Amino acid sequence: MSLPSPDRQAEEKLGKILGRVGSVRTRLNSLALQHAIFYTLAIAIACGAAIFAGAYLVSPLIFLIGGCALIVIAFIGIASAVSAGWRMRTSATHAAAIADDRAELKGRLSTIVALAGIETRGPLWSYLVEDTLGHHDEFAASKIERRRVSRGIYPLAGALVLAALAFPISKIKRAPQIIPGNGQDDLTVDLDDLHLRPADPGDESGMQVTADPATMRRLQDKLARETAGGGDVNGNSLNQLMNRARDMAGNLQNKLTGQQAASKQRLNLRLADAGRDQDQNEIHRAPDAQKNRHGETAGQFKQDQPKSNHEFDLPPEDDSRQPNSQPSPRGPGEASIESNAGKDNPNQDDSAADRSIQQSGENSSNGGEAHGIGADPDSLFGAPATSKLGSEGFEIAIEARPVDHGAKGAGHAYVPPKVRTPLSVNQEPDEPVARAAVPADDRSTIKRVFER
Amino acid sequence: MSEVQAETPTVADFARTFRRIQAEIHKMIIGHEQAVEELLSALFAGGHVLIEGVPGTGKTTLVKTLGLALNLSFNRIQFTVDLMPADITGTRVILSGEDGRREFTFQPGPAFCHILLGDEINRATPKTQSALLEAMAELQVTVSGTTYRLKPPYFVMATLNPIEMEGTYPLPEAQLDRFLFKVRLNYPDEAELTRIISSTTGPEDAGIEPIFHADEAAVRVESLKRLVREVMAAPAMEIYAARLVRATQPQNSRFVTDEARGVHDEMVNRYVMFGSSPRGAQALILGAKVRALLDGRANIAREDIEHVAVAALAHRIMLNYAALSDGIDAAHIVERVIKSVRAAKV
Repeated sequence: MSLPSPDRQAEEKLGKILGRVGSVRTRLNSLALQHAIFYTLAIAIACGAAIFAGAYLVSPLIFLIGGCALIVIAFIGIASAVSAGWRMRTSATHAAAIADDRAELKGRLSTIVALAGIETRGPLWSYLVEDTLGHHDEFAASKIERRRVSRGIYPLAGALVLAALAFPISKIKRAPQIIPGNGQDDLTVDLDDLHLRPADPGDESGMQVTADPATMRRLQDKLARETAGGGDVNGNSLNQLMNRARDMAGNLQNKLTGQQAASKQRLNLRLADAGRDQDQNEIHRAPDAQKNRHGETAGQFKQDQPKSNHEFDLPPEDDSRQPNSQPSPRGPGEASIESNAGKDNPNQDDSAADRSIQQSGENSSNGGEAHGIGADPDSLFGAPATSKLGSEGFEIAIEARPVDHGAKGAGHAYVPPKVRTPLSVNQEPDEPVARAAVPADDRSTIKRVFER
Repeated sequence: MSEVQAETPTVADFARTFRRIQAEIHKMIIGHEQAVEELLSALFAGGHVLIEGVPGTGKTTLVKTLGLALNLSFNRIQFTVDLMPADITGTRVILSGEDGRREFTFQPGPAFCHILLGDEINRATPKTQSALLEAMAELQVTVSGTTYRLKPPYFVMATLNPIEMEGTYPLPEAQLDRFLFKVRLNYPDEAELTRIISSTTGPEDAGIEPIFHADEAAVRVESLKRLVREVMAAPAMEIYAARLVRATQPQNSRFVTDEARGVHDEMVNRYVMFGSSPRGAQALILGAKVRALLDGRANIAREDIEHVAVAALAHRIMLNYAALSDGIDAAHIVERVIKSVRAAKV
């Protein structure tokens, strides 16, 4: 029996085979395209949802860092997905090889596709075409690749679910539990006792400090002086940079969440030495401090938990809830600011009293007025100034910065538990130590030492 | 004969003829199915076979049976150390003519046949061994400046005894390379041995029925060999064969200069002194074509190449002493190479 020579009919059969291979290739390329698109969308949606939820849930700084990280991850992921899709694309030869493998055709299709363009075909060419066409059911596109939709649909679905969950997740965020105005407290302090420094980046707890414009200006000036006198230029620059980043992130959060600056617990600040240092402040007001003055009209500062060595003693909680029932054992000049982020304390109804400033004039019955006054270099010699408040070796540290309007900043102040320990029988209330006369020659030396 | 020449076998004819020859051989040869298939594959691929096996495993019987089954002329040369090249190729002798004149006349040696069995070829000196080179490669012998053509088909089967190495001359690499396949005959298992005993100790010998008539056998075999050559090999298959061969070549081989896109198994680098020559790739493709025809295909597949890889490449790989000390043989190297090339997907 002689082998059939290639003729028109054989060419038609060859066309059928190549057409099937083409359909296989089309399906595989479609899947590759879907792979790239689905994964790209999945990554974009998932990252977008995460950023959206993060706008509600995390602080501006974390939001900024996390958002940047997510964006980088998204870019890398999308590039990988597109690259993978590009690599998954098939040529006719590759599609034939895949069909050969999956249909176990042992290279028939690959051979036909590779040799179809050659004019001089051997006598077995017709046999090969016939033989291959006899397996045409085995290399139909639906059998070679059953999927019409890429598996990338699953990550996309997951991303959509994540995006759907992002909305209720954003609603889960606790609403501000402090009603504006309800937790507003008054604080009267001496400007010299205040230790002002920019709040740590990312520390979103705190309260808003409000004061009259003059007071805010003085606070600004003091903050500027202390910041400028810190000597750590790099640290200041870093703080400024961080503040800017945080502000930017906060603004972005507000845009995403559609919120304005959340209500914070407010603290009305009054300066006990108002007007005394006005002239001094004007003198010390540095030009750069004036530049830094901003938010004056807003009149808002954030007061954070003191982190310096000058921590504030806190009155017992019972005492705080009944501030007048039992005098605090502290000295009259002892001041306490409980200001920091009471996230975990939802009982804020009486928080005004808890966070109130224990001032000397109010709790002076237990003596100790002069206790620690000696630590104040200004009061080393001579009688303690009656107008000095909270100067018994304590500094009122207010870490201030322009108020953060981010959505996260709405947390109410944390009121740490107050523990009051009664004096034992062996203990005596603090009594002012009688002062000894200090020679005039030594006063300046002693004062320098204490100032140091 | 003219009718035979006009008939062109089909793929089905080839497979049917091949199976019939196999069946006839297995009337005499018990077991060794793979060896018989490789032997016939080499025959139809147009190559020669080196048969290695311990004594008594049926090497000579196998070759003789093949000659009987194909009904082709068959000669056997027992190689010894004093065998001379002229004993193989033939020589010119002085003969007296009818007119009384004496003249030199070429007396063909045993090489002039269709199927030649060189038994224990490693017992002859290299000079004698190389006398077969021209016959195997070019189907011709040259004696005293005169070239004599050998009639196709020409099929040389040489046997090697691997355990009696004293007084032997290992085949040079150039001669080894001229054998398409190296077929290994192992000891038969218990069932096969039982059948061998019962079939060879009885009063009757197994009758081998020739597949072809004597006058058409050579033509039929040649037509089948041509059909093998017509089997199509996609470029991807040729590339695959080339990569297999290149993968047998160690990185430190002085013959390998282009390392780009190469696949090198660590075992190859450690144990192989010299890899396969390009003849190995040719052997892979030709053997794969026979396999494809047996499978009813007109194209070769990767499986076909891998199926004949050990037989086609193992004897072309020179191992070093580390391989000998570690008990690594060339067949193991080839199998590792196949896995490496598969895994690399280059």
